[in-house]
Amino acid sequence: MSTAIIDIEHVVKRYEMGDEEVYALRDVSLTIGSNEYVAIMGPSGSGKSTLMNMLGCLDTPTSGKYLFNGANVAEMNDDDLASIRNKEIGFVFQTFNLLPRATSLKNVELPLVYAGVSAEERTRRAQEALARVQLSDRMGHKPNELSGGQRQRVAIARAIVTAPSIILADEPTGNLDTKTGHDIMNLFRDLWKAGNTVILVTHEEDIAQHARRIIRLRDGRIESDITNHNHA
Amino acid sequence: MNILESILLAFDAVRSQKLRSGLTLLSIGIGVFGIISATSIMGALQQAVNGQLADLGENSILIQRTPSINFGTNWAKMRRRKNITYQQAKEFRDKMASTNLIAISNEAPGYTIKAGQLSSNPDVTLIGIDDLYFAVNAVSVSSGRPITESEVNTSRPVVIIGQDIVSSLFPATDPIGQQVTIKTQKFSVIGVLEPKGGVMGQSQDNRVLIPITVFNKYYTWEWDASVDISVKATNSMLLPVTVDEATGIMRSLRNVKPWEENNFELDTNDALTGQFSGFTTALLVVAWISGLGALVAAGIGIMNMMLVSVKERTREIGVRKALGARKSWIVRQFLIESITLCQLGGLTGMIGGIGTSYGVTSLLRSFNMPSITFVFPLGTVIFSVVICTIIGIGFGLYPAWRAANLDPIEALRYE
Ligand SMILES: Nc1ncnc2c1ncn2[C@@H]1O[C@H](COP(=O)(O)OP(=O)(O)OP(=O)(O)O)[C@@H](O)[C@H]1O
Ligand SMILES: [Mg+2]
Repeated sequence: MSTAIIDIEHVVKRYEMGDEEVYALRDVSLTIGSNEYVAIMGPSGSGKSTLMNMLGCLDTPTSGKYLFNGANVAEMNDDDLASIRNKEIGFVFQTFNLLPRATSLKNVELPLVYAGVSAEERTRRAQEALARVQLSDRMGHKPNELSGGQRQRVAIARAIVTAPSIILADEPTGNLDTKTGHDIMNLFRDLWKAGNTVILVTHEEDIAQHARRIIRLRDGRIESDITNHNHA
Repeated sequence: MNILESILLAFDAVRSQKLRSGLTLLSIGIGVFGIISATSIMGALQQAVNGQLADLGENSILIQRTPSINFGTNWAKMRRRKNITYQQAKEFRDKMASTNLIAISNEAPGYTIKAGQLSSNPDVTLIGIDDLYFAVNAVSVSSGRPITESEVNTSRPVVIIGQDIVSSLFPATDPIGQQVTIKTQKFSVIGVLEPKGGVMGQSQDNRVLIPITVFNKYYTWEWDASVDISVKATNSMLLPVTVDEATGIMRSLRNVKPWEENNFELDTNDALTGQFSGFTTALLVVAWISGLGALVAAGIGIMNMMLVSVKERTREIGVRKALGARKSWIVRQFLIESITLCQLGGLTGMIGGIGTSYGVTSLLRSFNMPSITFVFPLGTVIFSVVICTIIGIGFGLYPAWRAANLDPIEALRYE
């Protein structure tokens, strides 16, 4: 296997709700190398999104260790984390998280703004990214003028626009019909073929079958972690 | 792009919270308005007084129908006072025994002086004088000669011009002997005034002097036909004597009964300065304190508005942070927003303040203070831009800091 870019050891995420404790993750250890293609599956509430947020340097574990490219995430400051999220990671949120008042184009440009890319370059790259998700004809639309599937594709375009080495996608085909879902999976496969690491959450078996490795979570623990030999 | 975007976002915030922003912007407006209008009106008054003081020589008194500065006195009463006619002034001059340095003059602002193709600024002050003007006032001729008694008596069309008019009409030629036109009348230039420089940023060299007889004939209207009399005491010891004598003669010429008050103004240089500066300082202090008070209140309003804005846009901030916005970027965005809000309010106040002071100075002018002119309060405008920026930063910092330190995951989950 290739070198590890993600290495989590005994990670626990605990929420305190009054005097009740909720464990979203209980002792999860996981290593993901560069250019892997991983699907994370599991029932609702099993901790998939929590794990993804952690991997995406958005959330921090209650206990345990997270090494990103060998560096301890717990020791990084806000700006270091912002820089990793901006440059290394493309995140597709389960709830999209688009800016409601901005057009598709502006939404996709946003990560490039923080990367300090010039205005023209930004527009050009955002247009390219939107073309890859077949949304060239919806660049001037705001999120509330788009269908659920179209919003999802804008979110995907935003995740890939910075050409990040890792794509984290939480239910990226959840709102898509089979045909569009298939197109998106082709896109992820192309990204993976191009050398990127792709990690996606899904509860659809046939989507998971695109991946090389399938991790199943249950109650905040890894239930199984298998190599998928008959990937699509 | 980022700055422009942040400015547009500020307008968005104003739009989405109309009432709150309206009130906040209003209080900034009031603060800036108070400061600007007070400073600017004071500036105009000060300039008017200083102009007169600058002319009025040592040991001199100035007799006018109405005071050059008047606060709190009944305008209606002032307006009922009869003009000091040229005739009356001449009688006064003939009766005065303690001194014979008595000059009669009258002035009107807003003239354009022309020579051939060239013309001066449209705000030249035209002053009608007699031959004693230079002896009594602290004004002198630097080249050419003063106006003579016979020129006054025979209404000769001669003129002495100030340095500003020389520069605009005769930049390369010797003005002496040249012809200028004031309205319809032609004059020949016989002298140039000694430059005096500016008082309160307003040039004292922007004027021309003609014989008062000519002035009376062509350039007076009923409302400002009243002349000014300047009297110079022989020496400082005799000043009180001269004041008493002048008062007595004026009272008898104007038929003031012993129990009535003077129906004219008689001021010495010192009295004028003292009266005025006490009043203006008090007014300025009040205006500044209340203005700054309003600005601080406005600052708190801005802070509140920004905090609401941060709360309403929690998810947006979460998205931005998730996509890699650094803290400094978020801080900057919110600061630009609060500065924009402040400037918006400041601008409103500035326009209001400048408008008001323009109105007030015009009004004062029509109420027999012809020497008052509107002074654009450039310094104060700059000050208000600066203070609005400081308030924007000062009161925007805490909300901006709150926004920048939001936890991205919690912010994204915020409903
Ligand atoms: N902020 C929070 N406070 C309290 N509990 C939380 C919080 N976030 C997540 N949880 C809990 O952690 C558990 C895991 O949540 P998570 O969102 O990771 O599930 P998931 O596997 O993504 O589910 P789904 O398939 O429905 O998206 C859930 O039981 C949830 O209630
Ligand atoms: Mg989830």
